[in-house]
Amino acid sequence: MKVGIISFAHLHAHGYADALSKINGVQLVGIADEDESRGADAAAKYHTKYFSRYEELLQQDMDAVIITSENSKHHEHVVAAARAGKHILCEKPLATRAEDAKEMIEVCEQNRVILQTAFPVRFNSAIIRAKKMIENGELGQIFAIKGTNRGTNPGGWFVDPAKSGGGAVIDHTVHVVDIMRWFMGTEAREVYAEIDHAISSDSIDDCGILTIEFENDVFSTLDCSWSRNETYPTWGDVTLEIIGSNGTLKVDAFAQKVDVYAKDGVNWNYWGDNMDFGLVNDFLNSVSTGKEPSISGTDGLKALEVALAAYESAEKRQPVILK
Amino acid sequence: MLNVLLIGAGTMGSTHGEAFTKMDNAVLGGIVDKNLEKAKELAGKLQTRAFQSFEEAIEALEKVDVVSICLPTPFHKPFLKKAADQGMHIICEKPLARNLKDAREMIDYCQEKNVKLFVGHVVRFFPEYVRAKNIIEEGTIGNVAVVRTSRGGGFPYGSDDWYADYESSGGLVLDMIIHDFDFLRWCFGEVDRVYAKSIKEGNKKRLDYSLVTLRFKNGVIAHVEGTWAHQGFTTRYEFAGETGIIEHDSSKSVPIVFESRSNSTVGGGVAVPESPLKDSPYFIELHHFISCIETGKEPIVSAEDAYKAMEIALSALKSVETGREVVMDENQKEEAQIR
Repeated sequence: MKVGIISFAHLHAHGYADALSKINGVQLVGIADEDESRGADAAAKYHTKYFSRYEELLQQDMDAVIITSENSKHHEHVVAAARAGKHILCEKPLATRAEDAKEMIEVCEQNRVILQTAFPVRFNSAIIRAKKMIENGELGQIFAIKGTNRGTNPGGWFVDPAKSGGGAVIDHTVHVVDIMRWFMGTEAREVYAEIDHAISSDSIDDCGILTIEFENDVFSTLDCSWSRNETYPTWGDVTLEIIGSNGTLKVDAFAQKVDVYAKDGVNWNYWGDNMDFGLVNDFLNSVSTGKEPSISGTDGLKALEVALAAYESAEKRQPVILK
Repeated sequence: MLNVLLIGAGTMGSTHGEAFTKMDNAVLGGIVDKNLEKAKELAGKLQTRAFQSFEEAIEALEKVDVVSICLPTPFHKPFLKKAADQGMHIICEKPLARNLKDAREMIDYCQEKNVKLFVGHVVRFFPEYVRAKNIIEEGTIGNVAVVRTSRGGGFPYGSDDWYADYESSGGLVLDMIIHDFDFLRWCFGEVDRVYAKSIKEGNKKRLDYSLVTLRFKNGVIAHVEGTWAHQGFTTRYEFAGETGIIEHDSSKSVPIVFESRSNSTVGGGVAVPESPLKDSPYFIELHHFISCIETGKEPIVSAEDAYKAMEIALSALKSVETGREVVMDENQKEEAQIR
């Protein structure tokens, strides 16, 4: 299996490259990056070839490509990769505009390539266990979900709306919304949000509380704020608390940790399963067997629509109904 | 030395009663409960007298300076009026009333009768909450951006199961997380708008859960969770500011835990955590109210604060009902028209 990576703009590229190196029979054909020093460094680190132009990488003999460029460039890169006949694993959010995401899905269908949205949280072992418990009916009827996906302001292009499409809300809404959709097999119906930029000096949204109602009448909230400061023991979290008729289920995806107290303060050292590995392995498995991807482009679009509706709601100051 | 008459011998009644008996500036003169056996039981424990009605109590007792009302919400107003008519000062459990009209009437009535009114927003006396407010005011975490609070446990059983009658209790939004609304308003000032969701007909399911988003006029976004869907009571908060974070979780701040090996004792087979303090927050609160009566000083939480907390809770209930954001000022305008 031959795989390429377009851009190391998103730090998750390292997680995916690392996963590729651990999977037997996978060859990393090359890394394309318009930022030469970043791309060349990554190519050296992962013992592969550097391409300054992604078009050139796409001309190589390979099966699949992982796209980890800036959010606003996903569209251009995915469309080009699809036309080059490469299967695609695209970093979340799938795009910055719904029409871009729709076109990406269409072009991939036309070119018969897989478009998988990178939602690694689906491969977190605690999340998988929770999904099983829900499927087994252990919670009974679900009434409500309280979710958090808090993090640290990543800075750089993430705080440039032209490249990121938005701040904390577009960055951190999609993971947990995807999990909620996946757990319940239902779509979001209505979104309300309070959004602000109140933590960092960047003039981009860095805090948000979303309320999402689903078609099955379940209501949920999601804290997507970049509210973890530099002295907090970890980068952020993914948590879900699910209220069911038979009980409540708490999921803290990164609770498997060792507390380290050292000169630089307290650090939570995560020792749970590596979900990036699960995601990449699953993607390559779909590529090699030709089965439907476990996470589709449409999954990426649906999660994106919730984030976009949140921005609209905060603007209009009322709940927004999703079409 | 002030003489206190306690009305209601339920959970809150016994908490208040125990606090009053420990005070050096108050005497618990008696306990009233329509269920005389309950009144007698508590009176026996606290070495005071039991009565079946307010009227019997004031006839028998030489002097009552303060009445402490620990009854289901709908009984607050009638007992407040009875006590105010006698010129007694009033301590009333939260929420002050089920609706704003009653609350305003009660506040006005006490003013007319020239008696003081205190409402039991006890969270302002919980050391972990007071500490958070102090840390915020010291500027340790910079301007606060996002707040999360959590409160609750199992679905409560009150006398005549009154909690499950939402027409009486207002459910967990009015009865319980009003504590958080009051505390947050104490920290951040007035609320601009409210959006909330609750389980439909949670009272019939005996399982309720609400998630409320508040936006304060100063910009703070607060997420308030209230639950009657869990096992065992916990409170939690998190304040995320520009430069720091404050967290607390009552289930983690437990200095003493007993794990009984016996199944025959209460709590047998399960861990019983405790967080003992020399003075309970209820004692501190009630002692403060008694001192305010003695000295005439202003209380940490006023009757007007209790009214404002109700406004937030009732706006949340309105949002649940309408599915819309509720703007507080608009709500207040409507309220003014009704009045």
